[in-house]
Amino acid sequence: MEEIRIGVYICWCGTNIAKMVDVEDVARELSEMPDVVIAKDYKYMCSDPGQDLIIKDIKKHNLNRIVVSACSPRIHELTFRRTLENAGLNPYMFQMANIREQVSWVHDDRIKATKKAKALVAAAINRIKWHESLDKRTVSINPSTLVIGGGIAGITAALELADTGSQVFLVEKERKLGGNMAKIDLTFPYLNSAQQIINEKIDRIEHHPNIRIFRNTVIDEIFGYIGNFNSTIGQNGTEAELKFGNIIVATGLKSFDPSGIKNYGYGKLPDVITSLEFEQMLLNGKILTKEGKEPANVAIIHCVGSRNSDEHEYCSRTCCMSALKYANQLRSAIPEVNIYQAYADMRAFGKGCEELYCSTSRKDVMFLMFDQQKDLPVIMEAKADDSCKMVIEMNEKLSGERIEIPADLVILMVGLEAQDDAKELARSVGISMCGNSFFMEKHPKLDPVATTTSGVYVVGNCQAPKEIPDAISQAKAATARIMATIKQGEVEVEVITAEVNEDICCGCKTCIQVCPYTAITFDENNSVSVVNEAICKGCGTCGSACPTGAIRSRHFTDNQILSQIKGLMSKSLELNEL
Amino acid sequence: MTYEPTIIAFLCNWCSYTGADLAGTSRMKYASNINIIRVMCSGRIEPMFVLSAFREGADGVLICGCHPGDCHYHEGNYKCLRRFHLLQKYLTQMGLNEERMRLEWISASEGKQFAELADDFTEKIRSLGPCKLKETAETLT
Amino acid sequence: MIQRVNPNLKKDLLKLGVKDWNECFHCGNCTAICQLTEEDSLNPRKVFRQAQLGLKTSLQANISPWMCYYCGECSDTCPRDANPGELMMSLRRYLTSIYDWTGLSRLFYTNKFMEFAAILGLATIVILLFAIWGPPLDPTLTSEGGVKINSFAPIKWIELGDWSMAVVVAALLISNILNMFYKVIIKPGVKIPLSVYATELWKLPAHFATQAKFRKCDTKGKYYWGAHWMMMTGYTIMFILIVVFLPEFQVEEIYDWWHWQRLLGYYSTFGLLFGLIYVIIGRIKQNNQIFKFSHLSDWLFVIMLFMTTVSGIMLHLFRINGMPYATYYTYIAHIAILIPMICIEVPFSKWSHLAYRPFAIYFASLKKAASEKQYKTGLAAEIA
Repeated sequence: MEEIRIGVYICWCGTNIAKMVDVEDVARELSEMPDVVIAKDYKYMCSDPGQDLIIKDIKKHNLNRIVVSACSPRIHELTFRRTLENAGLNPYMFQMANIREQVSWVHDDRIKATKKAKALVAAAINRIKWHESLDKRTVSINPSTLVIGGGIAGITAALELADTGSQVFLVEKERKLGGNMAKIDLTFPYLNSAQQIINEKIDRIEHHPNIRIFRNTVIDEIFGYIGNFNSTIGQNGTEAELKFGNIIVATGLKSFDPSGIKNYGYGKLPDVITSLEFEQMLLNGKILTKEGKEPANVAIIHCVGSRNSDEHEYCSRTCCMSALKYANQLRSAIPEVNIYQAYADMRAFGKGCEELYCSTSRKDVMFLMFDQQKDLPVIMEAKADDSCKMVIEMNEKLSGERIEIPADLVILMVGLEAQDDAKELARSVGISMCGNSFFMEKHPKLDPVATTTSGVYVVGNCQAPKEIPDAISQAKAATARIMATIKQGEVEVEVITAEVNEDICCGCKTCIQVCPYTAITFDENNSVSVVNEAICKGCGTCGSACPTGAIRSRHFTDNQILSQIKGLMSKSLELNEL
Repeated sequence: MTYEPTIIAFLCNWCSYTGADLAGTSRMKYASNINIIRVMCSGRIEPMFVLSAFREGADGVLICGCHPGDCHYHEGNYKCLRRFHLLQKYLTQMGLNEERMRLEWISASEGKQFAELADDFTEKIRSLGPCKLKETAETLT
Repeated sequence: MIQRVNPNLKKDLLKLGVKDWNECFHCGNCTAICQLTEEDSLNPRKVFRQAQLGLKTSLQANISPWMCYYCGECSDTCPRDANPGELMMSLRRYLTSIYDWTGLSRLFYTNKFMEFAAILGLATIVILLFAIWGPPLDPTLTSEGGVKINSFAPIKWIELGDWSMAVVVAALLISNILNMFYKVIIKPGVKIPLSVYATELWKLPAHFATQAKFRKCDTKGKYYWGAHWMMMTGYTIMFILIVVFLPEFQVEEIYDWWHWQRLLGYYSTFGLLFGLIYVIIGRIKQNNQIFKFSHLSDWLFVIMLFMTTVSGIMLHLFRINGMPYATYYTYIAHIAILIPMICIEVPFSKWSHLAYRPFAIYFASLKKAASEKQYKTGLAAEIA
């Protein structure tokens, strides 16, 4: 076996790490560990000069294993693996110690933080001694794509992909395509017709030779992995077996149901309607109360179901601007109408939106501010002799006065929330959800359309509430990613899989029972288990269940983790004695 | 000087490790006694890892995985839970306080919960005092 | 108390000179920059909000507009050009029209035709009275060479006219102030101990005479306070001279120039002229925030006062230089301008501020003293 020569690099991350960890001390102390040839600290290891430093050292000192102690491996593990490749080393001869997210950013005692950093780096050094070269694995890419959801995001993605000549399967839960956008009249901030935009796209998608549409269809279960997914889709009693290489999830969000908010009396007071119902009125071209009269006073209540710990804490992003849009539409439909906007905060970021706010506020719209957290307005029926049908009582924040708003029609600006079946869908596609039941992207900043499952992308509202242009941008971004893999024809996949040592395997079949992917089969001839590495995702459950230790989880082997523990404890205890 | 326990935490890559990263990016402060080891799935955590940690001198072991139903590998966390209960019994038989090992679900968005858990568990272990397993084992051998 | 928002108040206020107020987004800069800001008594942002929402009751109980002397600092520094200073000015018109129970104030403010008609009507009545009565136009002069003014306009009749005018105007003003008192103190249910009315009373004449608060506004060294104070004292002295001391003022003798009657008269004339010229130049040039927007009532006020002053000067010169006919006709003209000016501008228009402003300060200090007293008793009770 070749001699182990380890290079250790401690990153300052500017001041992010250096201010809380004595990086020089860490480098000095760890350079004394056995097999460590060199230990250095540098301002930004991930920068080009930082990576060059590693490459030069590998060549100069003949290093064969590299430990970088910097940020989370979830951010830069791939960066440094590529660096090793560039230097001619196997990318898996690399280990990261996370001393930023787990040390410098979470501790405030420099001495303790430095000690902990030393322990974590020592653990990585100990672990890397057991690392072994792993060979890249590639899989071929099926050029077809499954798009789940036929709203604006899904339609855009399907058209983009289909126009390049690839086959697209578009699955829509409802009979009608178009999603939320098909239910609205105008878009903000420029008040263009939503119908014109979406209908043209629906028409194109329905006649596109490369797109197969499945209406009234729900995805049940998807098998496979990037490049080679398959699923059975039932439609009208018949079943279709589909094979596809990538998945775009564009299932959108649904409108919040305000019946649960007692203050607003939705469902009890006939003229309290949701924004979606008002859109329907606008589409029908008639703004009327239930009695069939034109309203003289229209109140619009913001943040219904949003930004409140009782419902949803997040901002639904689209309601403020829609409410301003309604003010404009009301003013032009009924010039003399009194318009009241009861809002919590006006959020008008983005192109054209502040301008819409300014121009709307010049149209005699009364803006009234309430406390969205503690003090919601109350809508009640007006007295019989009153001039209006309803009154809204609220504490107006900017005047400090208790006021009432006369209203004949109340529009509740309902927020957006996850679809009822979001959780099932996430499970069948194999993606995670964040706290608000939105689908989780791979990285909130650096990778907002991919997911932690290769080959699955989230676009549009289902990832988080957003405006139409943002949804379209995401859809196009995802299609660009997919096109890149289709063009290459194959992609690299995770090599961290399980393998069976047939000499030790006793054929107990325990591993077969625990594998969630049916990736392990039993070889009756030799009475041993066999792992299908194309299906195996490397969770390691079989490895920890195997009673004889015949199964190794690559890159997370027993020896690697046990030495990591050992390394960590050795430094930790030694330091405790100081 | 107060007694500073050493705790090893095994975190699954997809939920809990990401949650711990979130605690970091959100600059939440927690006890520096927690040392994290990453595994792909809580289902990968062998009893051997936990026992080895105690054998090497750890005073407590924390295991975190995805919430039930959220496992990246569908059901690894359920398997982890089953093993955990067995291991708890085993630890008791060995004479270790079962509270030295804890299993909690931490999702990728629960940075705050992770930080609170880290502090809470550290305090618990601190109150239990040092684990004598390493010393005992060394005297015996 | 719950108040209904009223978008129609805006239409009302627009007629009184309010400019569009949509620009205001309640940053509170106006309240922060104002030298006179005081909790409960002067808070431009809050007034702005009450106006925007059409909260009539709150607005009518608010004395903030009177506490403002319009230095223009708020409008100068408003980040949205929402012009809070001009809003306060317009609200003074609104409040004047609200305190005035006759409804004439509102009519004159909102209807130019009616205002001119009232002024010209009163002037015509004055001229007609002189014509019907037919005073003797005595061309002979006194031994000193002065015009025999008292035979043209006998003191007793003029005095009677003066006093009846003063009584009518005072009655109107007092009733309006009582209305203001009701709206500011009684209706909102402010509890004020009787003793406080007495202890704070000195503020009323003090602020009327000194306008001390206005001095704080004078941050840019623009003589606002000085010009305004001279105009005010000149006007007050002249008013007292013609009403109370008419027998000493309207005389046929030509006193030496250092005689108190002539000195006071000259001071009043100078004060009025100085202040008026300052204001007229400002309003024409629009050289300062305060002069940027001129409502008709603002112009009428200065023009009529200016005409009264000039006709008064001419009257004086014609009399002492022995020009009988010029004196008599100028006298008629002087009275024909003076009477409508006082009868219309003082109770119903801009001049009413001479009463409302000191009373607003008085009411503000009543409220403050009452709440301080309440706080102290509360504290004492707590300690006990």
